[in-house]
Amino acid sequence: MRKVKTKDTELEVDLTESEVKYIKDFLKREPTTTELGMLDIMWSEHCSYKSSRPKLKQFEDAEQNYDYVLAGPGQDAGVIDIGDGYCLSFRIESHNHPSAIEPYHGAMTGIGGIIRDVLCMGVRPIALLDPLRFGPLKNNPHSQWLFKYVVKGIADYGNCTGIPTIGGEVEFDKSFENNCLVNVACIGFGPIEDFKHAPSRADYPGDYLVLMGGSTGRDGIHGVTFASRTLTEMSEADRPAVQIGDPFTKKMIIEATLEAIKTGYVRGCKDLGGGGISCALSELTGNGGTGAEIDISKIFTREPGMNSFEIMLSESQERMAFVVQSEGLEKVLDVFKKFEISHAVIGKTDDSKILKIFDGNNLVVNLTSEALAHSPVIQREEKKPSYIDELLTQKTPDLTIEIDKVIYTLIGSENICSKEWIYRQYDHEVGVRSVVKCGDGDSGVLRLIGTNKFLAASVGVNSKHSFLDPYNGAKGGLVEVSGNVIANGAKPRAMVNCCNFGNPEKPESYWFFSQAVQGMADFCRVMRIPVIGGNVSFYNEDDVSHTTIKPTPTIMIVGIIEGEKNIVTLPFKKSGNEILIIGDTKAELGGSEYNSVVYNIEGGNPPKVDENQVKRTWNFLFELYDKHFVKANHDVNKGGFVITVAEMCFKNNFGADLDLTNCFDNSLRNDEVLFSESVGRFIIESEPKDYEKILKIAKKNNVTVKKIGILISSPEINITGIKNSKDIKLDLNKMKNLYDITIPNIMEI
Amino acid sequence: MNIKIAVIQFPGSNCDLDTLHVLNNVISNGVEAELIWHNNFKESNYDGCVLPGGFSFGDYLRSGIIAAHSPALDQARVMLKDGRPIIGICNGFQILTEAQFLPGALLQNDSLKFICKWVNIKVENNKTAFSNKMKKDQILNIPIAHGEGRYFTDNLKELVENNQIVFRYVNNRGEITKEANPNGSMESIAGVCNLEQNCLGLMPHPERASELILSPKETTHGLLFFDSMIEFIKKKGAHNEKG
Amino acid sequence: MDNSEFIVEVVLENKPAARDPTGETIKRDLLAKKGYNSITSVRSGHYLRIYVKASNQEEAQVIVNKMCNDLRIFNPITQSFNILKVSDKKS
Repeated sequence: MRKVKTKDTELEVDLTESEVKYIKDFLKREPTTTELGMLDIMWSEHCSYKSSRPKLKQFEDAEQNYDYVLAGPGQDAGVIDIGDGYCLSFRIESHNHPSAIEPYHGAMTGIGGIIRDVLCMGVRPIALLDPLRFGPLKNNPHSQWLFKYVVKGIADYGNCTGIPTIGGEVEFDKSFENNCLVNVACIGFGPIEDFKHAPSRADYPGDYLVLMGGSTGRDGIHGVTFASRTLTEMSEADRPAVQIGDPFTKKMIIEATLEAIKTGYVRGCKDLGGGGISCALSELTGNGGTGAEIDISKIFTREPGMNSFEIMLSESQERMAFVVQSEGLEKVLDVFKKFEISHAVIGKTDDSKILKIFDGNNLVVNLTSEALAHSPVIQREEKKPSYIDELLTQKTPDLTIEIDKVIYTLIGSENICSKEWIYRQYDHEVGVRSVVKCGDGDSGVLRLIGTNKFLAASVGVNSKHSFLDPYNGAKGGLVEVSGNVIANGAKPRAMVNCCNFGNPEKPESYWFFSQAVQGMADFCRVMRIPVIGGNVSFYNEDDVSHTTIKPTPTIMIVGIIEGEKNIVTLPFKKSGNEILIIGDTKAELGGSEYNSVVYNIEGGNPPKVDENQVKRTWNFLFELYDKHFVKANHDVNKGGFVITVAEMCFKNNFGADLDLTNCFDNSLRNDEVLFSESVGRFIIESEPKDYEKILKIAKKNNVTVKKIGILISSPEINITGIKNSKDIKLDLNKMKNLYDITIPNIMEI
Repeated sequence: MNIKIAVIQFPGSNCDLDTLHVLNNVISNGVEAELIWHNNFKESNYDGCVLPGGFSFGDYLRSGIIAAHSPALDQARVMLKDGRPIIGICNGFQILTEAQFLPGALLQNDSLKFICKWVNIKVENNKTAFSNKMKKDQILNIPIAHGEGRYFTDNLKELVENNQIVFRYVNNRGEITKEANPNGSMESIAGVCNLEQNCLGLMPHPERASELILSPKETTHGLLFFDSMIEFIKKKGAHNEKG
Repeated sequence: MDNSEFIVEVVLENKPAARDPTGETIKRDLLAKKGYNSITSVRSGHYLRIYVKASNQEEAQVIVNKMCNDLRIFNPITQSFNILKVSDKKS
């Protein structure tokens, strides 16, 4: 931070010297304290993406290249047309730093923020997803504390607002111990007509600007700059930068917003998040090419004597800004009155392209709308870390432990075990849309009432793979998350991402980010998946212990299933049916749970992605779906395919007789066959009578399919055909028990 | 006969639209359900009413207490007295106990955590306005989703004597066990009724168990609650002015 | 008659029959995790600080008592209600 002189006083800011000079040059004067404060926030990494914009340019312009994308990156949330006059809006965001300090309120306000982003696109939020990362739980009270209260925060907020959490993901790794990651995603659904009333722009002069929701207090002043710095020893004292969420007010805001939009007089809508009113007003006018005159003395405050700086920079939660056509102002205000929500008409738009903010008669801000929204960009250096190449050559020791012992250890390991402890705390059924519920599918599937369509959504990425190879790791994340929705029968329609990385000012850290973005951009372009939004969280590093998180480019994919009969679920259905593995298993133990849990190794050869092969596999699956050949489907990920088979057996108490003879490349070691985490593979259940036809379609698409076994009704998995090894007998009840008890044993005393 | 049912919306109600959907779109039996904002609710317009699930008034102070003071409950009290059917689901149940339409109270779950899962409940009393289409001892599949569902009463004896315990949590075999009780409710009680048996409160959500597509058990036991209500009203004769 | 302002501090606790899982859990946490063996019991409750305009402390107490009973600020089936302290509000 540095001290900068303003018109009225001196202010401590995070802006660099050159940025301050830039400001003075274009203003041709000293900025006021409020103006400087606003710029400090708007140009912080968290708000302006100054380090990441150069790289994010690699993504295709979604709105231009895909006719069904109605809103792309840069708006509060992405929006896609799904047909029948309806649209889906979704976004994913991070709330990492506040959650690491105060997990309950950090997670609550994270959820509050993401709901607002989707709500202000004019549609009803109908689902939440939460990808999380913590340090390992066992024997670590700090990690347990963070985990418990983040989950509780998400649960309390989602449950109170009546929005089901339908999916999520959690990874435990030492690198997240002091920098937990709390990413939150929200999906909204509604008529395209309503979306048209709620752009994040004030396009017309002469419209009223109305602030609505919670009152403005001194919370979180400098919250966004807090997010743009690493956590240090000082963080405990930074507690004021964490706000308190209020889901009850949010629920009222949701209903009032949707009802206000239905009046037809709302012409723009924006939620107040990081940067408070400053950010919202500058984006509304900057993006809309208008200006505005605002009187902040009209804003309802919760603490007495707040000055203009405090009001403009406040990050009090649960506030929305509306742009309202003057003829309809009373109607819109009536809606707010019905729900007894505080509101104030704070100003009007005009065609000046300047944001003029008055405090009564005092002009405290006089900036062009553009100035705030368009910060200078910083070109960061990137350099591949020197240790990576050596890590890649790390060898997994020869397998001397008994295979069944390894599998029992893996099924109960923290990254693989059941996450039921988490999702039982989420009301995942409110809204009566949840068709495929937590545990029954790789993705959450919701019906869309009013259509014959179903949405399938999933989130995640593998940070261990991304650490060794961020380019392929990011691609792999896309393969896996897309695979999750495909496994439920959906066609992936669009993607949003949340990039969690270390300090961008360090070339080695920035390299990971640059590689990951490149990977995502390349994959999405080839596979024709539009990137309709993203979020970047840098500075996830701990200066005290000098650890950086493993790179985590979290992906969310939303897909559509046409018609109930096309929904596929995870659990095995019928004894006597066959178990097939689709896709190629390779010698890719790098970053696997096997390496980390059994040998505590981080290195090795991580999974790589071949887009063409992935395309062929997906086409193949959809052909099988057309013919209804697939009775159950689960994509293969952590722990390898035996874990996948076990997970499919659990729900209906099936077992399996597996014969792996000639099913895998003979050059592979046994552990590579069983525990490799090669991406793009699926385990499906099919009827014996369809096998020949399935093989034919596979051959046509040049996709590898092998029959590895059949379903039996006794709870055991028998594996034969392993090179130079005796047959393996696994007790399924024992596996289920280990799978179920890991987290409850740690979290419940 | 045209039956009019009010689904009362409090600030913070969540399951109002879900309940409305089931009554208007799933049940086809001359039922017309209407969403009505709590301050605007007038009992004379309706043959019955539903207090839906959710977090009315954010559950502040205590679940249901603030809503219990709403003028909507004064209106509903008229319906209670003249025998029209009233059902409180989850938060609705909490409101009805705080408004003293029903005996007892709902406390925080034993586990101190919110629980969302499908459970079984056994029909103990099939003579109430909402259970007359059920069989005695029938096991129903229905989901719960609550943090404050532990039923407690200081007057258990009276409840038992007057047959006011309507549903109990049971396992797949119909047995009342500790494991089958998701929240520590006294006597595994999942739902109770008033003395006259026209008012029912229960923690599980029938509106989430009324369509096959949403049910992991391939049953639609939730419909039985609403079918029973319709049957009850038909026998009583319509009250609403246009009926 | 001078209408001064008073502070009435109230605590609402679960009755023994209704159990207090929050208090029980805190105590279990302390013993299991931090070894505070000298803690024999923990009770949790709701604390309310109520500011009342009245002519004296007794009247303030009467008003709060009535309010808590009439409006069911505490649930008489499951909770007990205790006035901890009444004091003058110093302006």
